[in-house]
Amino acid sequence: MKRSTSIFAITAAALLGAALVQASVSVGKAAPEFKVKDTSGQEQSLSAYKGKFVVLEWTNPECPFVQKHYDTSNMQSTQKAAEAKGAVWLTVSSSAPDQGDYRKPSELAAWLKEKGATPTATLMDDDGKLGQAYGARTTPHMYVIDPQGTLVYAGAIDSKATARKEDVKSATNYVTAALDEAMAGKPVTKSTSEPYGCSIKY
Amino acid sequence: MTNAWKRVAALFLTALPLGATAGNVVQTEQVRAELVAHAPEGVVPGAPVWLGLKLEHIPHWHTYWKNAGDSGLPTTMSWTLPAGAAAGEIDWPAPKQLPIGPLLNFGYEGVVLLPVPVTISSAIKDDAIHVKLDADWLVCKIECIPQSGTFELDVSVHQPTVAHAAQFEEALATRPVNVEGTEAIARIADDALHFEVRGLPATVRGVHAEVFPEIAGVVDNPAPVRQQWNGETWSASWPLSAQRSASPESFPLVLRFDGGSNLRAVANLATSWSGADDASKSGAPPSSSPGVASTLSQPGFLTALLFALLGGVILNLMPCVFPVLSLKVLSLTQHADDARQRWTGALAYTAGVVLSFLSLAGLLIAARAGGDQLGWGFQLQAPGTVVVLAALFTLIGLNLAGVFEFGSMLPSGIASLRARDPRLDSFLTGVLAAAVASPCTAPFMGAALGAALTWPAAQSLTVFAALGLGVAAPYLLACVVPAVGRWLPRPGPWMQTFRVVLAFPMFATVIWLAWVLGLQVGVDGAAALLLVLLVLALAAWWWGQRPADGFTRHLSTSVIFVLVAGAFLWAKPLWQPGLPATRVGADVGGLWQPWSPQRVTELQAAGRKVFVDFTAAWCVTCQYNKRTTLANDQVLAAFEANKVTLLRADWTSRDAIIAGELARLGRSGVPVYVFYDGANTPRLLSELPSVEEVLAAVSHGPSVTKE
Repeated sequence: MKRSTSIFAITAAALLGAALVQASVSVGKAAPEFKVKDTSGQEQSLSAYKGKFVVLEWTNPECPFVQKHYDTSNMQSTQKAAEAKGAVWLTVSSSAPDQGDYRKPSELAAWLKEKGATPTATLMDDDGKLGQAYGARTTPHMYVIDPQGTLVYAGAIDSKATARKEDVKSATNYVTAALDEAMAGKPVTKSTSEPYGCSIKY
Repeated sequence: MTNAWKRVAALFLTALPLGATAGNVVQTEQVRAELVAHAPEGVVPGAPVWLGLKLEHIPHWHTYWKNAGDSGLPTTMSWTLPAGAAAGEIDWPAPKQLPIGPLLNFGYEGVVLLPVPVTISSAIKDDAIHVKLDADWLVCKIECIPQSGTFELDVSVHQPTVAHAAQFEEALATRPVNVEGTEAIARIADDALHFEVRGLPATVRGVHAEVFPEIAGVVDNPAPVRQQWNGETWSASWPLSAQRSASPESFPLVLRFDGGSNLRAVANLATSWSGADDASKSGAPPSSSPGVASTLSQPGFLTALLFALLGGVILNLMPCVFPVLSLKVLSLTQHADDARQRWTGALAYTAGVVLSFLSLAGLLIAARAGGDQLGWGFQLQAPGTVVVLAALFTLIGLNLAGVFEFGSMLPSGIASLRARDPRLDSFLTGVLAAAVASPCTAPFMGAALGAALTWPAAQSLTVFAALGLGVAAPYLLACVVPAVGRWLPRPGPWMQTFRVVLAFPMFATVIWLAWVLGLQVGVDGAAALLLVLLVLALAAWWWGQRPADGFTRHLSTSVIFVLVAGAFLWAKPLWQPGLPATRVGADVGGLWQPWSPQRVTELQAAGRKVFVDFTAAWCVTCQYNKRTTLANDQVLAAFEANKVTLLRADWTSRDAIIAGELARLGRSGVPVYVFYDGANTPRLLSELPSVEEVLAAVSHGPSVTKE
């Protein structure tokens, strides 16, 4: 009987594993709820921002593609424009703590401050659950959620998939475009794009 | 680590050419990049002229293919060539899969040459052409570094350039090429792209391929690709990306076959993307596979739930479950008065049954998600499971016959736990009931449950939960309706007799299991099982006779364990699957020939009509059909009159080819009966075909099957 219970435990674990493999969210569907601590140790959840547009930005200060958009102030200006229009901006780190380029909460907050970034909060998704629920693959990887909690954009920050800083000027900013259209009550023309950048180090 | 990028960037900057002319080599900490040329007949119009970037990565670092996968960037090249010369696109070599955590990238490690064809349109007047290349590449291990280089090279116009001939020739020989005469289509269904490629060369038939999509943003890169061969047709299913960013009308694939063949196939989309979006929104269950006319529609979800519930209730009457259940119901009379205790006991029992069915189904769904070709009944395809079930049923039978008592077998810890918490006892009885029911679900309900498995996980698990609920229902009812308790006969000495009688259906189940094992591993394995069961019976009897305590008791216990373990170890090698010497003879013979996808294709090509029986020894419905409808004189006469070739596919043991064919037919369990009339799409018959149904299908042929 003891054996049968241990077999039972194994199958239950397999069942749980199968459930975790469930595909990530699609655009047009409800964005998954999360509860994650921010860099100041406060718990942040998506539901707390219901009624507002929410932008999720996956970041990693060590990644050259993140640096491309921070060194050119592209990320900061996209962020300021979004916040000026009332959107909430959540910057997310999904690097696992055992990865070489993991930044501690205080270090990450300091780096963003030094770069002049003003996210509403910076989420420490150390176990990667938030990232995997959204299907986040790269840094940067951007998501826009409307006030009803529906995902309206998922993909790259802009149209030029390169690491070259000079490409920022001539690129189309997909996040700004999605926010502009969604805030005007229009459907988002470019609602998905291929994110580009470094792998998220889950 | 923080300064790694700066350090690398500094190194890289020093590597940059400072003078007016760049060399043809750029060396960074991770990559040695070299611009090379191949012009064996000189740089003249019409002659083969190739340029290429050779990248040598240090270990663990890689650069990317044209579709980088989940992250990364493809290498890019920008050429400056003299008038009269034009560079084409990179002729990408077949990439490798590069997994990073849960993500999957496509690229190159070690040494790779990226060749670029050059077209010479007019004669070059100079002695050499001056080639300039600006290249960008992203090199990654876990971290990534964007690098770039400017390369310059003079290539002689009149002298042959062959210094890198070997590398170019190898790259050109192994590049993924389109095969003349192949035909590829893709369909969108159930949130996946389904590919079918016909006419691939015979050398790769039956060989597994690594598959790479040339277009990014369509499929879920790390999701398992289910692929299978059916004759000369290779097919595969690849789940779509949840955040799909491209909707191409044709979808080129690179197939990297084990053994070294790299092929390319451009699949044209046969269905529209708008349909894919609608299907993903409604979450509709998949319809049966296209191209197969079925006389059976898939049961609706609610119908399936109802049938599962009903089937579960009926399972209680099966020889494997009935004895366990009836004893359990009779035990109710022991605490007939305590309603509360009966309630909790009934609920714990139900939980045990339902959770066991769910775990079994969950295990199967997980294995299928992992790409295993399994269907319901998979439990009985492993000889080990058959042996363990036979042993379990023998022990239960001996226990019922009064040879020994289970109570004396349990370690005292568990025994007292059982006494302390009767709910645990009820729960474990539920698990046991599900365990003994499982060999019966496969033979009687395999096909129906198999169909449920093709649905989304949540729906198929609900069907299995309903089945469990059905199994638990009679006992649950007996517990919560006091009237049932009153109908039960008073306990008395007759119960002992009844118990012994119940031992016989158990032994009957053992005989059936021994037969199944015999078909799986041969008569030697089946005889070994009978011997092991004999030793087990002796051990059980001895156990029941042991003195209450003292040295002899301990000695007896040890000898019994050594005896049983020894018997199992001795017999184990005889239970290896894959030696079904007698299997073909048992199921195929006389009118029936062994099935293979090639055989069906050949017979169809020859204009023959074909009837295929997908069967398994452990499938009782299959055995029933075989002895009734398929042995019917009228049916056999009709087969002969219409010159129908009869093929039989035996799924008693695991078989990926059969499982793949069943999946293609939209089923995942046996029995399945298919009739190919030579003209129309194959026609599926019902799981319990009547004589009339087979006659109608066989006799009327093409003109009638218009639906």
